[in-house]
Amino acid sequence: MLQLLILHALAALAAPALVGWLGRRAFLVLALVPGSAAGWAVAQTGAALSGEPPSQSFLWVGGLGMHLTFRLDALSWLMTLIVGGIGALVLVYSAAYFAKGASALGRFAAVFVAFAGAMLGLVTTDNTLALYMFWELTTIFSYLLIGHYHERQASRRAASQAIMVTTLGGLAMLAGLVLLGSAAGGTTSLSLLVERAAAGELGAGDPGLLLPAAIVLILLGAVSKSALLPFHFWLPAAMAAPTPVSAYLHAAAMVKAGVYLVARLAPGFGQEGTWRAMVLALGLGTLLLGGYRALRQHDLKLLLAFGTVSQLGMMIAMVGYGSRAVALAGLAMIAAHALFKASLFLVVGIIDWSVGTRDMRELSGLGRSMPVVAAAATLATASMMGLPPLAGYVAKEAALEALAHDGDWLVLAILAVGSTLTVAYGLRFLAGAFATKEGVVASSPRYQSRLIALPPVVLALAGLAVGVVPAAVETALAPHAALYPGDAGHLVLWGGFGVPLAVTLAVLLGGYAMFRARGPIERAQAAVVPVPSADRVYRRSLVVLENLAADVTAVTQRGSLPAYLSIILAVTVVTAGGAAVLEGTLPASVRTADWWGQVAIAVFIAITALLAARSRRRLKAVLLLGASGYGMALLFAAHGAPDLALTQVMVETITLVILVLVLRRLPTYFSNRPLGGDRYLRMGLGIASGLAVGVMGMVAVAGRTATPVSEYLPDATYTYGYGRNIVNVLLVDTRAWDTMGEISVILVAATGVASLLFLRDRTGIVDPARNRRRSEREGVVWDDGGPDLAARMRQSPAGGAPQWLRAPARGQQWLRGGTTLAPRRRSVIFEIGTRLVFHTMIMLSLYLLFAGHNQPGGGFAGGLVAGTALMVRYLAGGRYELGEALPLQAGHLLGGGLVVATGAALIPLAFGGQALQTAVFELVLPVWGDVKIATALLFDVGVYVLVLGLVLDVLRSLGAEIDRHGEIEGVSDEEVAAS
Amino acid sequence: MTFDVTPSITLVILAAVLVAVGIHLMLERSLTRIVIGLVIASNGVNVLFLVAGGRAGSPPLNEGGSVADMADPLPQAMVLTAIVITLGMSAFLLAMAYRSWQLNGHDEVQDDLEDRRIVRRAARDVIARRVRDDSGATLAEDARVTRDETATDLGAVP
Amino acid sequence: MTWLVPLPVVVPLFAAGLAVVLGRRPRLQRWIATLALLTSLAVAIALIIAVDDGPIVVNVGGWVAPVGIALVIDRLSALMLAVSVAVTLAVLVYSGAQGVADKREGAPVAVYYPTFLVLSAGVSNAFISGDLFNLYVGFEILLAASFVLITLGGTRDRIRAGTIYVVVSLMSSLIFLTAIALIYAATGTVNIAQLGIRLVELDPGLQLVLHLMLLIAFGIKAAVFPLSAWLPDSYPTAPAPVTAVFSGLLTKVGVYAIIRTEVLLFPGGRLDTALLVVALVTMVVGILGAVAQDDVKRMLSFTLLSHIGFMVWGVALSSVTGLSAAVFYVVHHITAQTALFLVAGLIEHLGGTTSLTRLGSLARLAPGLALLYLLAAMNLGGIPPMTGFLGKVGLLQASAEAGTPLAWTLVAGGLVTSLLTLYAVTKAWNMAFWQEAESRRPARPMPASMVGATSGLVAMSLALAVGAGPLVDYTDRAARDLRLRTPYLEAVLPEGQYPTDVYEEAWGSVDGQG
Repeated sequence: MLQLLILHALAALAAPALVGWLGRRAFLVLALVPGSAAGWAVAQTGAALSGEPPSQSFLWVGGLGMHLTFRLDALSWLMTLIVGGIGALVLVYSAAYFAKGASALGRFAAVFVAFAGAMLGLVTTDNTLALYMFWELTTIFSYLLIGHYHERQASRRAASQAIMVTTLGGLAMLAGLVLLGSAAGGTTSLSLLVERAAAGELGAGDPGLLLPAAIVLILLGAVSKSALLPFHFWLPAAMAAPTPVSAYLHAAAMVKAGVYLVARLAPGFGQEGTWRAMVLALGLGTLLLGGYRALRQHDLKLLLAFGTVSQLGMMIAMVGYGSRAVALAGLAMIAAHALFKASLFLVVGIIDWSVGTRDMRELSGLGRSMPVVAAAATLATASMMGLPPLAGYVAKEAALEALAHDGDWLVLAILAVGSTLTVAYGLRFLAGAFATKEGVVASSPRYQSRLIALPPVVLALAGLAVGVVPAAVETALAPHAALYPGDAGHLVLWGGFGVPLAVTLAVLLGGYAMFRARGPIERAQAAVVPVPSADRVYRRSLVVLENLAADVTAVTQRGSLPAYLSIILAVTVVTAGGAAVLEGTLPASVRTADWWGQVAIAVFIAITALLAARSRRRLKAVLLLGASGYGMALLFAAHGAPDLALTQVMVETITLVILVLVLRRLPTYFSNRPLGGDRYLRMGLGIASGLAVGVMGMVAVAGRTATPVSEYLPDATYTYGYGRNIVNVLLVDTRAWDTMGEISVILVAATGVASLLFLRDRTGIVDPARNRRRSEREGVVWDDGGPDLAARMRQSPAGGAPQWLRAPARGQQWLRGGTTLAPRRRSVIFEIGTRLVFHTMIMLSLYLLFAGHNQPGGGFAGGLVAGTALMVRYLAGGRYELGEALPLQAGHLLGGGLVVATGAALIPLAFGGQALQTAVFELVLPVWGDVKIATALLFDVGVYVLVLGLVLDVLRSLGAEIDRHGEIEGVSDEEVAAS
Repeated sequence: MTFDVTPSITLVILAAVLVAVGIHLMLERSLTRIVIGLVIASNGVNVLFLVAGGRAGSPPLNEGGSVADMADPLPQAMVLTAIVITLGMSAFLLAMAYRSWQLNGHDEVQDDLEDRRIVRRAARDVIARRVRDDSGATLAEDARVTRDETATDLGAVP
Repeated sequence: MTWLVPLPVVVPLFAAGLAVVLGRRPRLQRWIATLALLTSLAVAIALIIAVDDGPIVVNVGGWVAPVGIALVIDRLSALMLAVSVAVTLAVLVYSGAQGVADKREGAPVAVYYPTFLVLSAGVSNAFISGDLFNLYVGFEILLAASFVLITLGGTRDRIRAGTIYVVVSLMSSLIFLTAIALIYAATGTVNIAQLGIRLVELDPGLQLVLHLMLLIAFGIKAAVFPLSAWLPDSYPTAPAPVTAVFSGLLTKVGVYAIIRTEVLLFPGGRLDTALLVVALVTMVVGILGAVAQDDVKRMLSFTLLSHIGFMVWGVALSSVTGLSAAVFYVVHHITAQTALFLVAGLIEHLGGTTSLTRLGSLARLAPGLALLYLLAAMNLGGIPPMTGFLGKVGLLQASAEAGTPLAWTLVAGGLVTSLLTLYAVTKAWNMAFWQEAESRRPARPMPASMVGATSGLVAMSLALAVGAGPLVDYTDRAARDLRLRTPYLEAVLPEGQYPTDVYEEAWGSVDGQG
């Protein structure tokens, strides 16, 4: 069976190409695919109807109990015949039906065949989850087929409606199936489920609610798929699909899926109260409603659609009824309905194709002009109305017989009424389609074709064939019916005189009478105020959904950063803080301070921070921030953390400079916005968070049970880290992995800053030439429009000025970049100072780098010091000076640093060590003599270079580049940004 | 090494104050203030690390001397990493502030426009035509206009 | 095998360094990046197989846990690693052609590839780290990279959206850092395995505090309601590939961290009920958000949000089946959501916009694209037989097994969410593919690499469905070991909490310890 499915899949994939190649004739080829399924079923008849049906099983997702198991028992055999046979016929029909140039035929063919495959899987699989899989696949394919003409709103709407409604039911069904799977004795094998349910082993010991719940959920699936109340409305709307689709999906195959599922499970669950109530109420209700609505349709397709709804209701009621005899009738009805309804839809298609309309008010005299089609239609309709000797008659008769035998008069009566309606709209259909009406111009068929007429004729004749040999049909259907409890029923043409015959006669007469009175009935129907139709309810609920969604989103999605932060903080304070306050235990003892100075420092830090927060001037805020930061450094130093203090000082300095560099361009004052309660909310949240942190901190330290891992460090770091400075060893060796990550953060941040500032420079890497002086005439840095003496000196009074009058040449100045500064910004003292201090600082930074392993310092401190040196050069000499100080690209430093550091991580791997593992080398150098070098140094060098790169990059972007932005004349920042 | 984690109330309070101030600033709309707030708040967390590390002690340097009153070095290493990361982050945030000033003439965080639009829509309860995609036509009306692209090239009746 | 473990982090970083140095050579950068990620992928796949017989632990620098930083790979992290790297690679190929790196976006080429590599390294680091503070560092790496990527080009929208993202992320880092400080204060260690031993010994009140702090920090990253509102405001404005890789990976890192927290650090399951409720609300509110959007990328961002709920649901069931389903769902969602965002990128490329009200008639213009969208969307909508469905079934079965009323409520919520997901994606399909566009605009040809990468990812998600059997078994085994905890703990701390020797055999040292 899997082979057949694969065949379908491949055919579907090939279909577009095939159609492209053969045109419409491709449909004839593709017809072989579903045809083969039917043929295979025929070949398997003997086995299928025997005790142990042919089956196949492939493991797929064992963990979820989802297997590809197939089983061709009597029911599946019947459905396979229908799905395959009618599928083939409809494809043949399509070959003639569609125009040569019809749009997207390839897609249509592909989806159609794919659907046939999914349907085949659905009716043959024995695994509940696989069943659901095929179930949903049919939904999707029908979605695409209904929406085939997606330029039409009607098609789009019908498609969305169909997929939503059937998926809703499908998901309910999934829940039900999972529920059954998890129940006591539950499984994902359909046949086992039914067996155990029949034996009452299913859900034994589970809460009584479990089984009914599962039944309701599963039936929801069946009911929605087969368009029963209250989901019936999607089916008529789905008539927007091309007629072949209506004939196959919405008459013969897909809508039968629900009926199939009910027939499949009824032997096990048919006796449950919930089951019977739901099946009968919805089934019979739909039977009546569908018939009633069909009576007033003028569009032949719609008439048939409502007829289908009605019949589906009847079938579900019959196969779900739970008694053997009725079930047999139901199965026969499935077959009969598939034959006559498909045939009728195809006939309507032919009329539409040939005459150009489906509206019975515009049709007349077709009975004469298309005798063959008319005959087929009459045969099919007769079968639908239940006239002997046709399939429909046999099935209905058997049902009446069985119900009479059980004495279930209520159901019998409803069935009779339903059948009466069927007769009425059946006649209405025939008359409407083929009768000659006075006052209507005889419609002339423009086209005829044997090919297109063939399928409906075949189907109609099949209906006749089934009718004349009821015994044979009975033997085919009996095996499944036998699974139901109750006495066996029979399919016969002549059941003798009795209630059924009487009922049938009454039904036929009543139906005819209603047909004669169709005029008044239509008017009456038009007159009665229609109850809010399910369709309108659906449309309304969509509107409600959309509005609800918008409202909820409007509440949760404010789009304001402060709001989001406030929510996060509120959650944190309330939950974590709350837990600390309510459940935490505070430490038994606290000390005021580690030493008296701590208090002073803390107060200083706190106050400066507070002032920074309160100040309305950007610069002031920043300077106060710096002060508080240096306070932190002091705190660290006093706490016994020299490295921390050193780094803090450096970082604080750089942060300060960066802030100042950026802020010089931003407005002096923070914009003063009117802040009401909003402000107090923020204060409140801040204070609350602070308190929370305080309390949590106390609770945390109070809870300390074990000694920290640090106890290992003093010995370990020296023995294995070859360094006295534990913190440095931690950074470059023990926890070097952290440091590696940290420097990559630095790299990314630096390049990111550049990328935001150098948007006009595509490479995003500072072009050194950019900050190198190109000519004496180059732009003047930091000019505030004051008198430029240097410029005046450069201007030659007459002809070339003598060399010595020019700005000093190389070697005759302290800082070359200096000459590019606006003279009023130059400070010779500063320049000289810089000149002197620069190299000292570089030396210091190198010392820190190498000494780091044993004394405070290390790569970070070193790099930061070097960076600071650069910063001084920049501040003293302007941006051209920066280019002079370090004619390297920041990118090279950043990247190179990371390469070196990660390289140091990789090398040990090559020698069978761990990443970043340190080794020590002792070598004798001429001057130093015997020195010990830990390879960790290499890593530290990488850090040093990268940090230097960071500072350079930041200076060049936030410093130099912002200078340039400021100097660009006539070019607004807007354009700088845009470029 | 000192494992005495009896908290110094001064440090705890300092951490609390710094966090409070920092958070307060981070709730502002001006990016500059947010940066300042971020730095202050992280300082607060760093102080919390000191608390976690225990009592102040001698620098964690192995000068052969006793390690009895050495401060716990592990939190120091972690704080050092955190400090540097914060430096990178705040530098980037500043660049953003500058950029936003370049673009908008101020460094204030704007609200999300799309969200605002939906808030307005929710207030009006209107659904776009293309979203609903439903003219409200009845089945019969739809059926009348719905026809398939059928063949016109088969044997026409003479 | 141990030498493989650090590579997914170190190699991309090394390559990133090179790429920055070669700032002027975009094509070369691209090759380096691709090569690096291919290496990571190979390593990750090798590790998946290797760890199936027990976690692999690497003591970085030879420093034995708990003193040094341990890198730990168990089935969970190996799986996460492989899927994330594969997805990242696909997106890299995609972005090679797409605008991110080119002039139209006005982005500096030099930054894109290195940053992208660092992002990948950060994600991998988060997955393999066995040390809480190092996990923080890993987060910072990927955050820093994501900051740069989300503001790429520095346009007005991206700066606005980026600000929300950056500041919220920094807030979450702050919370995480605080949590670490508290945890160190309470336990004196940051080694996750050791924490697994020490945290449970703490006083329950304190445990609750630490537990909550971590969950909040990770909840923000994973975008769990009500900490999630930042995501849909920030993701959609980024370039398509960036959004794609973010949606695939960043939130999942948060989910991964939540799994570790719930299973390894705080196995008590004290907050499970709360988490279940959170999961429910996340699913429903998120999907309603998706329904309300009429922009493809925003709609997708909300589905992303909503489906995070599915994973939290699985974790909070605190059963092996639930955990297994959650892990499977993570794998599914990484591929599905990323693929969808790549498709959205193609839509944007073709239609010139992501606004559904302006898009249209794509089904006619680009049938291939239509097929890709349909497959990816149906996968997200949980249509069988695709992974979205399998993951959902796993969760349903796990809840049925739990059988509590709350669990059944989540089943209902989950099904409603899938239905609404289907509604949202079909609505988008209807508007962008079926309806006629209001304004015609010439369709731009789609670069082969973009289509190729997208198709590759879609194909991958289909392949995952086909091979779901072994995958589910794998996640089952992973979940079982996670619940046991002992495999992890014993692998990291073979001698228990207090190893006698804290250093492995040194290499290349000329004369021992000198």
